[in-house]
Formats: sequence, C-alpha cells, structure tokens
Amino acid sequence: MRPRWGRTAALGLVVAALLLAGCGGGGSGGATGSAGNGAAAGAGGTSSGGGGTITIGINADPPNLDPSGSTALVDRYVQNSIFDKLYDVDAQLRVVPVLAASLPEVSADGKTYTIRLRQGIRFTDGTPFDADAVVFNLKRYMGPESARRSELSFVQDVQKVDPYTVRIVLKEPFSPLLYTLTDRAGMMGSPSAIEKEGANFGQHPVGTGPFLFESRIKGDQIVLVRNPNYWRKGRPKAEKLIWKVVTDDNVKVVNLKAGQLDLIDTVPAQSVGDLQSDSGFRVDIGPGLGFQGIFLNVNQPPFNNVYLRRAVDLAIDRAALVKVVFGATADPGYGPFPAGTPAAAASGSVPGVDLAKVKELLAKGGHPDGFSFTLKTAASPVNQQVAQVLKSMLAQAGITMNIQQVEFGTLLDDSDKHNFQASALGWSGRPDPDGNIYAWLHTGGSLNNSGYSNPQVDRLLDQARAVGAMSQRVDLYRQVMEIEHQDVPYVYLYFPKNVKAYSARVQGLVNVPDGIIRTADLSK
Amino acid sequence: MWKQLLRRLMLAVPVLFLVSLMVFSLIHLIPGDPGRTILGPEATPEAVRAFDHRLGLDRPLPEQYLHWLVRVLHGDLGRSLVDGTPVSLLIAQRLPATVELAVGALLLATLVAIPAGIVAATRRGSWSDAAGTFLSLAGLSLPQFWLGLLLILAFAVRLRWLPASGYVPFLQDPGQNLKTMLLPIVVTGLRETAVTMRMMRSSLLDVLGQEYVRTAWAKGLSPAGVILRHATRNALIPVLTTSGLQLAGLLGGLVITETIFVIPGFGRLIVDSILNRDFVTLQGAVLVSALLVIGVNLVVDLLYTVLDPRIQPGGKGARA
Repeated sequence: MRPRWGRTAALGLVVAALLLAGCGGGGSGGATGSAGNGAAAGAGGTSSGGGGTITIGINADPPNLDPSGSTALVDRYVQNSIFDKLYDVDAQLRVVPVLAASLPEVSADGKTYTIRLRQGIRFTDGTPFDADAVVFNLKRYMGPESARRSELSFVQDVQKVDPYTVRIVLKEPFSPLLYTLTDRAGMMGSPSAIEKEGANFGQHPVGTGPFLFESRIKGDQIVLVRNPNYWRKGRPKAEKLIWKVVTDDNVKVVNLKAGQLDLIDTVPAQSVGDLQSDSGFRVDIGPGLGFQGIFLNVNQPPFNNVYLRRAVDLAIDRAALVKVVFGATADPGYGPFPAGTPAAAASGSVPGVDLAKVKELLAKGGHPDGFSFTLKTAASPVNQQVAQVLKSMLAQAGITMNIQQVEFGTLLDDSDKHNFQASALGWSGRPDPDGNIYAWLHTGGSLNNSGYSNPQVDRLLDQARAVGAMSQRVDLYRQVMEIEHQDVPYVYLYFPKNVKAYSARVQGLVNVPDGIIRTADLSK
Repeated sequence: MWKQLLRRLMLAVPVLFLVSLMVFSLIHLIPGDPGRTILGPEATPEAVRAFDHRLGLDRPLPEQYLHWLVRVLHGDLGRSLVDGTPVSLLIAQRLPATVELAVGALLLATLVAIPAGIVAATRRGSWSDAAGTFLSLAGLSLPQFWLGLLLILAFAVRLRWLPASGYVPFLQDPGQNLKTMLLPIVVTGLRETAVTMRMMRSSLLDVLGQEYVRTAWAKGLSPAGVILRHATRNALIPVLTTSGLQLAGLLGGLVITETIFVIPGFGRLIVDSILNRDFVTLQGAVLVSALLVIGVNLVVDLLYTVLDPRIQPGGKGARA
C-alpha cells in the first residue's frame, strides 16, 4: 500500500476539477493544460530516438509477464523477448536448442531426459545461468500456484547432475514434454530476481533474453531495451522495442500506415490486399497452430442427438466460408491440426457439402424438416461475419441457427458451465499435437466444453502420449479424428493463419507458426 | 453560502457509497468469474481456483464488498485483480490524458460554440445561421468512430501533418502533446460543440425577446453592449447547465476516442476493467468519476452565482 499515490491522485483530482471549472462557461481560454500530476510514467509514445526503435502493435495488454502465472497468448509475445527458453521451435516447427546446448538424451523407457546446458550465460541482473537455475525454475513451474503445473504434471522430479547438466524424471513416458520446454515452461527467469520480487516478478521480469524490461504503462505500452551482454553475438539488432496495445484492428492498420507502428501482429482480411499493393509495407502470411470451430453440447437438446450434430457438420461449406470471410488469411479445416504442424495428416480432408446426405441425417434424427438451435459467439466483427455465413449455409439445409452475441468473458463462463447449445470458441494452438486435442476430446478434459465422453477416444489419446515416435502418434490421432467426425462434439471450421504486416524498413522477421515474433534478429 | 456548499459535500458521501455498491452488484450480475475471465481460455480450472483463492474471490460477495469498503475508508483503493498494480497508480497514470481530452473538448465547445451561437441567434435566418445549424447537425449525427478514422487517414496517413497516435504527457513535451491531442479533442468535442451551439442560439433568442433587453435597446446602448453585456450573460445559464451535464456524459464518448487514438485514458481503463471483471479497479475508477461529476456540478452551481447573483447555491436553479 502506498498512500502517497492516493494523495497524488487526490491532488490531481482537485486540479482537474478546477481546470474543468475554468472552462465551464466564461471561456477564459487560458489553460490548455493537462492536469499532469507527474504520475504518468514511462517513455513517450513513438518519439523514436533513431538507432532502431521498433514499435509493435499487439491486440491486448499482456496480463502477466511472469511465465509461472501467465495464461494469455499475448503474454508470450513479450516474454519471448525477455526470457530465453531451454528450446525453441523454428519456422518449420523443428525443436532447436537455445539455453540447452543440444537436444536432450532420452532414456530407452522414455522416462528420463538429460539436458546439457550452455555455459557462461548470465541473467540480466548478473545471476549466473546454470543447472541450479533450471531446477529452480522448473520446480517453481510445478508448484501449486503455477499455471504451468498441468503441462508438467507428468514430471516426477528435476535433478541437478552437475553444474551444467539437468535430469528430468517422468512418472511415465510423456512425448509432448520436449515441445512443452519450447514454451512458457521452458522460460528461464533469474532465481535471485524471483526470490526478491515474489508475486511481483511479472512486473519486473528478469531473464537471459535479448531485451530487458524497462517500463510499462498498464493497458498502453511495454518498453524493452537491448540487452548489451546478450550471449548470442551481434544480437539483438534493435536498440529498443515498444509493444503498443491497440485493441481495434482498423486502428492498428492506420497506425502502421501512418508510421506510428512498425509491425502489427494481426491484419484484418480486408486490409491485406491494400497493404500488399503498397510498396512501403510487407505482408507475411504463414501457417498457424490453432483452429476455430464450434462446441456442440452433447448433453442437452438438440445436440444430444448425434444425427443432428452430423447434419450441422456436413451442411457447412468450409471452403466458401473461408473465401467469403478470410480470403488468404485462413484455410478451411476439418480437424485440430493445421497444415505444417507435425500431425497435420491426422486432420481429415475437408468434406464437400452434400445436402442429400444432410437431409437423410435430419430424417434419421427425427427432424426431417430441420430444427433450430442457438449459437453463442463473441461480439467481434469477424465472429459476426462467420456466424452470418454459417446461418445462411445451414438455412439451405432447413436448419435454423439463431445467433446470440455475448461478451468474451461471458462466453468463456457459459462454455465452462455447459450453458449453451452451440458455442463458437477456438484455440491458439500448441506445437505439440497433444496440446490441440487431448484436453478437448478426452473425458473430463479442461477444454472439453462439449461434455463429450468416449472411452475409445480416451484410450487412443492416452496411448499417443506414451509412444515416442511422431509417426505412431499421428496414426493414433487419425483414429481419434475418424471417431470425432462420426460423433461431432466439435465442428472444426478453419485454421487461422499468421498474418504479420510491417513497414518495408523492418528487416529480419521470421514468421514462426506459433505467431510469436522472435525479436533478436529484427532491425529497422 | 459556504454552509450550503458544505452540506453538498456531505451529501456526496452517501452518493459515493451507493455508487460503489451499485457497481459491485452490477459487475457480479454479469456472467463470468473474474479469475476465469482474467486468466482466459487457456487456463486450467485448477489454475483458476488457485487464482480465486489467492485473491479471496471465492469468499461470499458481501464479505468481499465489506473488505473492499474497509480498505477504501482507510484511503487504500486496493490492487487490480489482473496483476496487483495499485488502483490509485492506475488512476493516476490514466487520469491526465482523459482530463486533457475533457478540458480540450470543453474549451473547443466554449470557444467555438458560444460565439457561433451568438452569431446564429443575432442573425437568424442568414446564411451564417444556416451554416451553423448544418454544422451542428453534422456534429451530432456523424459517428465518432468513423469520423476519427477518417481524420487519421486524412491528416496522419495522407498529409502526414499529425501523428495517428502516441500520447505524450503534457508536462513531458507540450508541443508533441498538443500535436497528438488535436484530433482526439476535435472528435471528442464535436458533439459538445454542436449541443452547446444549439443551446446558446435558442437561449439567446429567448433572452433577446425579454423586456429588459428591449429596455436596453431603448436606452440607446450599442448592439455589442446589449448583446454581450446584458443578454449573453443571462443566456449562458442554461448553456452552463447542459455543459455540466454533458461532461458527465462525456465518459462514453471518451472510450471511443481513446480506442481510435490509442490514448491510455480513463475510459479505456473502465471498459478494460469491466471486460476483465476487475471490480476493484472498476470501483476505484467509478468512485473517482463520481467525485469528478460531483465536483463539476458544484463548480457549475458556483458559476451560476457569478452569472446571476440572485441565484443561491443549493437553492433555486441549482442541481444536486
């Protein structure tokens, strides 16, 4: 508690009120002042100091920069510039060592991973990076307060072998572990900073990464500056990174065009062509990891009837949907694994629309003249367009879909509580296929909002976690998806692509499928 | 008079209490648990439970409210549920930009609308009156969002005269600050200007028909003397009332302006805290807004007495 702020704010209020008063009527016209009370901290917007300040527009304010407590995708954007991870994925989604010196040695039973570490690296507060630091971080991520706990639930113990070697012992084989270490569970924070800051580590994050945290104005911007002692020679190239929160997509595009932003993380489909035809800008469209679609509540009418679920699934022309709403910024999808991800082959090929078959299914389901249901969807322009297109497609099959727009927080809550007939919610995706399917289709999975339960699917999903070779896993996922397309607890619709637009002066952008901008090579 | 003011200030306390109670009840009526909403779609149920437990969000609602109230009475607005930032710091960071927007919008309204209203009233039916009427109708009917984007496209993208966004605190760099705030102030102030101008015109027309004005003309005073000294002063009273009321309504418009021009302001703070179900930040922010509105109303009442000494604050013509 800092009463000083309270007083400053109160003083500001008085000044503000007086200023407002001064303009209430008489038009004194004296003060154009802001009641700046000296409390506004942080760097001034976009006044670039030259020498490569790169301003990146992001969709939302990162709620938590501490990898241990972080649950939002947007956190990872900024975290990846502050924290190095043990491993990373490259543009082809291959695992590459970062703070680890090489890929881990995995024991024959798949239960022990031995990781050798790079030597001579320090955190930006001077703390040495070594086996102790890795054990400290991983144990913290396994703790009861950590949002990473479920990702590491198969880990029995983390041990220091020697100053630069760590051993991870699993309760049972868990093939997704390696990819887990390429994300937040693999981010290494400075143990001394974590001990000092405790719960506030997210407000003063310290890693070994290319940039260090400088300042932040909540809800507006985060400023990072170059780490002068970064262990990768000649990097980072930029002096400063400013992450600017711009919630509206159109506003983001005009700010890119006006030069206030150098790079934007998403581009509305209708602006892509415009930016592509402008020589001052580049648009990079690459594959993504996530999928979008609709949960069908299998435990209440109308979708406790499997024939009606199948009818909806087959009445949608996914290619047309993507063409109308997304153009080049998405692919039609019929499964949880987008093209370019390791298990892409397990997603089924997108079916064509067969209205005769839909009619047959409706008749089997006891509704030969169609039926009606309500779709809950988030109130954003894109979601609205998708819903409208679906509505007209389903209408051709005699199915009436009512659209209910709800605010995102409400949609999450309703989906958790199974309080819906159909709910449009997607997933940002993970590089390991397990992260795109297990919690969605496994009985009692944390993302299984449909309430779906099928023992055979559960068995196949568990098996896929235990086998090591990806080819075997893909085969198991294919079997899962064959069952899913018969049961349809979730209607897969499309795979959003990663679309980045940036000023032609920005060099060194690599579009990795996870959508996260690797900033060490960026320059302007 | 001072006694009256003191009474009004005392009345503010129950008002603030009721406002906070209302906000607390409303935000908990919206479906969506704060922990689930803040942690987002990727959080596991156990992470949400741990979060709710750590912040006491799993306690009964009356207890949560009382806990908050006791802290506020000790002068502590609490910490944001999202990341534990002190709410007073969030407010202090966000208030300057919004106050500047509001003040700028009011200034614009005053400096443009009042003279324009006077001109329109004194030359009723002329082309300048028609132009004023047209402009004020346009100001009322153009959607702020569309207009804002259009102005950015014109002045920032095409002409490159002004930045599209990038708020700089006034004290840090006044020049840059005014440059970035010009368009937002115009967009925010447009409605105000339109309303104030219509108000000024009709109010002045009303006054000009009164007996004492005709007396003034009869005494052979110059037109400027009659209009500016006698009529305008009285005509300003209803205008002042609407200006005061509009300031309270400004908050809605500010959210739009702050979004289009990427200004870290108060409107966005309130909207974000609603979307996050961050009731601690929301209540703190709403309390401050309510204080501001109460303060402005007080000042408006004081100004009445300046314009017309017969009016007593808290008496006839004053608004609680």
